[in-house]
Amino acid sequence: MNVVSSAPDLANLQRIAIKVFVSADSTITARDVIPVFHRWIQTGAVNGLPIDVANYSHLPTGPCVLLVGHEGHYVLDRTEGRLGVQYNRKQPLEGSLADRLLSVTRHVVRAARLLEADASFSTPVRFLGNEVEIIAQDRLLAPNSDETLVELRPALDPLLTRWSGNTDWTVSRKSDPRAPFRVAAVTKATDTLENVEARLFESNNY
Amino acid sequence: MTWKDLLGERVPTALGREIDTYENQIALKRLGKIDDKVFAETRLRRGAYGQRYDNGQRNDGTGVKPLPFPSNGQTKGPDTIWDAPGMQRIKIPFGGLTTAQMDTLADLAEEYSDGVCHITTRQDVQLHYVHIDDTPSLMRRLAAVGITTREACGNTVRNVTACPIAGVCRDETFDVTPYALASMRFLLGHPDAQDFGRKFKVAFSGCRDHACGLVNMHDFGAIAVTRTTDGVEQRGFEVYIGGGLGAVPHEAKPFESFMSEEEILPTLQAISRVFARLGEKRNRARARVKFLVAQLGVNEFRRLVREERDSLAADERWTAYLNELPRYGEQALKTGRPLEDAGSSAYQTWSRTNVYRQRQPGYAVATVSLPLGDLSSGQLRGLADVARRFVGDTVRATVEQNIVLRWVRESDLPALHSELEALGLARPGAATIADITACPGTDTCKLGIASSRGLAAELERQLAKQIDALEPAVRELRIKISGCFNSCGQHHISDLGFYGVSRHVGGHVVPHFQVVLGGKWVENGGAYGLAIGAIPAKKIPDVVRRITGRFVEERRGSESFYDFTIRIGKRALREMLEDLTTVPPHEVDTAYYSDWGDPREFGIGDMGIGECAGEVVSLTEFDLAGAESQVFEAQLQLEEGDFGHADTLAYGAMLQAAKGLIKTEFVDISDDPDQIVSEFRTRFFDSKVFFDRFAGGKFAQYLFRRHARSDPSDDASATRRLIEEAQLFLEATHACQARLAGQLPAAPPPTSALPPTERPS
Repeated sequence: MNVVSSAPDLANLQRIAIKVFVSADSTITARDVIPVFHRWIQTGAVNGLPIDVANYSHLPTGPCVLLVGHEGHYVLDRTEGRLGVQYNRKQPLEGSLADRLLSVTRHVVRAARLLEADASFSTPVRFLGNEVEIIAQDRLLAPNSDETLVELRPALDPLLTRWSGNTDWTVSRKSDPRAPFRVAAVTKATDTLENVEARLFESNNY
Repeated sequence: MTWKDLLGERVPTALGREIDTYENQIALKRLGKIDDKVFAETRLRRGAYGQRYDNGQRNDGTGVKPLPFPSNGQTKGPDTIWDAPGMQRIKIPFGGLTTAQMDTLADLAEEYSDGVCHITTRQDVQLHYVHIDDTPSLMRRLAAVGITTREACGNTVRNVTACPIAGVCRDETFDVTPYALASMRFLLGHPDAQDFGRKFKVAFSGCRDHACGLVNMHDFGAIAVTRTTDGVEQRGFEVYIGGGLGAVPHEAKPFESFMSEEEILPTLQAISRVFARLGEKRNRARARVKFLVAQLGVNEFRRLVREERDSLAADERWTAYLNELPRYGEQALKTGRPLEDAGSSAYQTWSRTNVYRQRQPGYAVATVSLPLGDLSSGQLRGLADVARRFVGDTVRATVEQNIVLRWVRESDLPALHSELEALGLARPGAATIADITACPGTDTCKLGIASSRGLAAELERQLAKQIDALEPAVRELRIKISGCFNSCGQHHISDLGFYGVSRHVGGHVVPHFQVVLGGKWVENGGAYGLAIGAIPAKKIPDVVRRITGRFVEERRGSESFYDFTIRIGKRALREMLEDLTTVPPHEVDTAYYSDWGDPREFGIGDMGIGECAGEVVSLTEFDLAGAESQVFEAQLQLEEGDFGHADTLAYGAMLQAAKGLIKTEFVDISDDPDQIVSEFRTRFFDSKVFFDRFAGGKFAQYLFRRHARSDPSDDASATRRLIEEAQLFLEATHACQARLAGQLPAAPPPTSALPPTERPS
């Protein structure tokens, strides 16, 4: 195995991805989302420059459908068998790590809320308001280690507090050292993504 | 900290220096100190390709819209915007990958691409949506595990391919792997292989009969043979030269029936020198070795190569690797043991198609069948772990876009199947009609016309459901699909081949596929098929059902599909598809007007057509339909061996299509070939109206060349090529007609200077 390790340097981390999960009582398929992503390109429904839609629905895990963008990709994702929507940031963002985490989170929550509100689905889709995954797609700046998690917490914790309005979160790191740094955050307090969105888009003071 | 710092000496010095140079060239290009064309070739020679929409234009289903990349006019090649995502091709010689390399590829796909690795029809790996600024780090990380992307593209020696089961095959003469590896190492960066007009492809095959090496479609193809002299067995190769698919395919010509192993590398060097010296440089469309061989004749080409070979200064690398051959060979991880457990029914289904018994007792090759050649990063990393546990350190990618695990202990097969199943990699049906090869097509390729991957996914979905119910003779057929005529999906050498075209119907553009029959996958791609007609994309599943159904009903004994299509004849095959060519009006059924897996309206159909224009278009369409009939009739005559008649018909088809186009401007055009060609040249060629945005005036030259020749050819190969050319001329005429009617955009200028549209979140 060719794991190379460096000390984390999250101050410069830009390749951040955030995933929110589809609730157990609803679902969304590639067939549903492909026309929606094309429509988002036509209408400029999401931030940045959307380029195209990539269909990987033939893969049983991993990315299923991508709205490929210049700044980042919106992904209907099935990594580890869990369906959700993820925003993978590709281009640099301004601000501190906390600012960048908030910005990426806002992107994915806004996209998930658009899907919740989309009238084209035969049954509405709902996303969980009490669970989120943070992924660093950069092994140089964010190796998958406890050290990286320690360095992330000062920026992550305020985001989670803002997300839920409380501090009662369980945060755990997925341990495969070859996989990207991936942190699952879960809170017992249930809430809708609509409320989460409202809190995330309040003023930046927190 | 950078990857360069972190990897340090893990990157071999020579590779590190090359990547440093490449990174400097990127910096210089950003400063405007390198010409666009020079930089394009520079990055291409490192495998960094352009990708669809990198000209800043995309049809979003309502029309062609600009993509305002924030590049401030910066380009990475002609008409190629800097910030537009690109494709990175990664050369994997003979498809051989170590587990460490698989881990790295998985990492790179996650960090720089879209989380998916794609296996190509040349045993390469491709990553899509990669930013050029990321490519130096990506290349360093590959170099650290022994992979170079050097000469993965550009006018170079491309990936050297070989049978994925070489060394374990029951039928091979000997293992060709070390020869493929030696050829790659010898030619990589060789000064004599740097000045080609086009690419050069090399393949090695262990036997004549099977398809694995596809020698017949290569610039240089070598089949392992032995001969005995004075009681001593000597290894060598039956060598073929000048093969190639592409728009106008050429079957390779026999070059030498026995070339000793010592002569392989010097001969490759000599051929490289002859190709560099005499090959076409200005006209890319005729710059492959196949055209040089056709122009000179294989005998003269052979003479020149031998003359060149004799003049070469000796190089110890020609034979140094041969000393290592006795010690070459893969080590099995475990002692071979026969299968004892019948396994689950899912295992049995999988093993029927995905397991091949090696010639070494107690071992098998397991094929991981990849849908559309794709696997996710997580799957690739998981597969590396499976390989470590079951076979040791290596796997091989195949030209059918799959991965094989060799040296699996037979008794481990059920357990291996279980582990693959957990990764979503236990898809049965490898090497069957449901295991379809497809090029990227309109998904990511700049040249794609129709969605080859969309069609392949749909056909795989439909066929997988019925695979067990299919007759064995149908199950074993191959389907290969290209998004355009360039044949990256290898449609010519398939039982059922398809390539994407478009048709102009009632003011809209409709995706179609040409149906290609008469190709042979076996015998190293032993015969090339020809198109029998264009069918709307949405009707292609019906084409497959009808043709395979008729094959089952009318098959004589153990007749092959190839023999069946020859016996039935193209006329009958076309007749049985005739009703499928009908496209209902847009207002009746819009489904025909979008492609598989893509809900966008195909093309732009919102432009009004005046009565007068409509009438002229009708005349044009009438001529185009007549031209289609003529080119098909030419195929029938070719089949019957009347080459002169076939030649005349193909020429007539081009004339009629050109005449139809002329009628859009000059209704009173006569039937005189001289007048047609003259008017066509003035109105459509000199004005560049006929020009394809990528191929320029290439297709018009097909007409001009044939017109300049007064007598029809009586040569089978030449006639066959003319028919291919006539078909391409017709496709270009359809495209030109659609452009004139406003359904396809003319080649637009880049729009890279437009500002970004980022909004605050």
